[in-house]
Amino acid sequence: MPAKRVDRALTEPFDRVRAYVDAKSASEASFSDVVSLAEITADSMQAFFASIDRSIYRELRDIADYITRMRDEIAALRAGELKSGKIATAGEHLGAIVTATEQATNTIMECAEAMMNAEGEDEATFKALVNEKVMEIFEACSFQDLTGQRIARVIETLENIEQRVGRFAAAVKTDGDDQAGPETDREKRARELLLHGPQDAKVAIAQDDIDALMRG
Amino acid sequence: MAIDHTMPVLIVDDYKTMLRIIRNLLKQIGFEDVDEAADGSEALGKMRDKRYGLVISDWNMEPMTGIELLREVRADDKLNRTPFIMVTAESKTENVIAAKKAGVNNYIVKPFNAQTLKAKIDAVFGE
Repeated sequence: MPAKRVDRALTEPFDRVRAYVDAKSASEASFSDVVSLAEITADSMQAFFASIDRSIYRELRDIADYITRMRDEIAALRAGELKSGKIATAGEHLGAIVTATEQATNTIMECAEAMMNAEGEDEATFKALVNEKVMEIFEACSFQDLTGQRIARVIETLENIEQRVGRFAAAVKTDGDDQAGPETDREKRARELLLHGPQDAKVAIAQDDIDALMRG
Repeated sequence: MAIDHTMPVLIVDDYKTMLRIIRNLLKQIGFEDVDEAADGSEALGKMRDKRYGLVISDWNMEPMTGIELLREVRADDKLNRTPFIMVTAESKTENVIAAKKAGVNNYIVKPFNAQTLKAKIDAVFGE
């Protein structure tokens, strides 16, 4: 309830009582004056409590409406489905991507190492080995197609989460949503030890620039 | 000064694949005596047991990072002259400056090729 409205609700009912007493203060009060004062006081208090009741009712109704809206928005988040469904599946996709790229890298490196170590062989044997290993490298490179599809699914999940969280944030009208939360131990370590990870090509410093910094 | 290709080299990275890549590149360059460590603390232990002619280290590792390893090495009277090359995906200017301030001899950003690795090793040994 706004402060001005509260002040008015508290003072108005007593104005009539105060006016009546002021008018009677100069003369002696009769029994009928006392009865009249009691009636005026009762009327005023009734109006006062009715006003308070209406204000409280409005406030409670607003709170109830807000809770209902929040319940709907929380339901729209479908947090359970995200946690056990989409996020879990995205995690499985990412795990599979790591495994697939690792397997492919190992296969390619084994082929390269086999070719490096076959230098002493006669030409025909060396050529056959190179052909075989080159084919294995081509086959291993097929991981890119599968990992590409898996990455697309993970991106889809992230976009879905972004939409749901964005809608929820708009519904609860969060202020200062760009403000970072308290720094975790991991974030503190990353900040202190400059652990940024790989940078986007647009912001990454080139080897030539690094060389210039090292010389300078 | 010619590079002594028989000197032991210690490579430090938490990714086995990267260790394997660097080992193969070093082999191509001519280095055969190559040891591996999975993080800074393991590397420090190996350095205290064996004298290495060159350390090639990643930055982002757990529990001890490459920059922490570099600082430990430079603060150790017995190890502080060991040539140290950082090979990392950390490609921000502040990283390069921090590594230089800590006493790194050269800095290579991933991904890199054999030519870059050789050029940086040559530069460290003044060739």
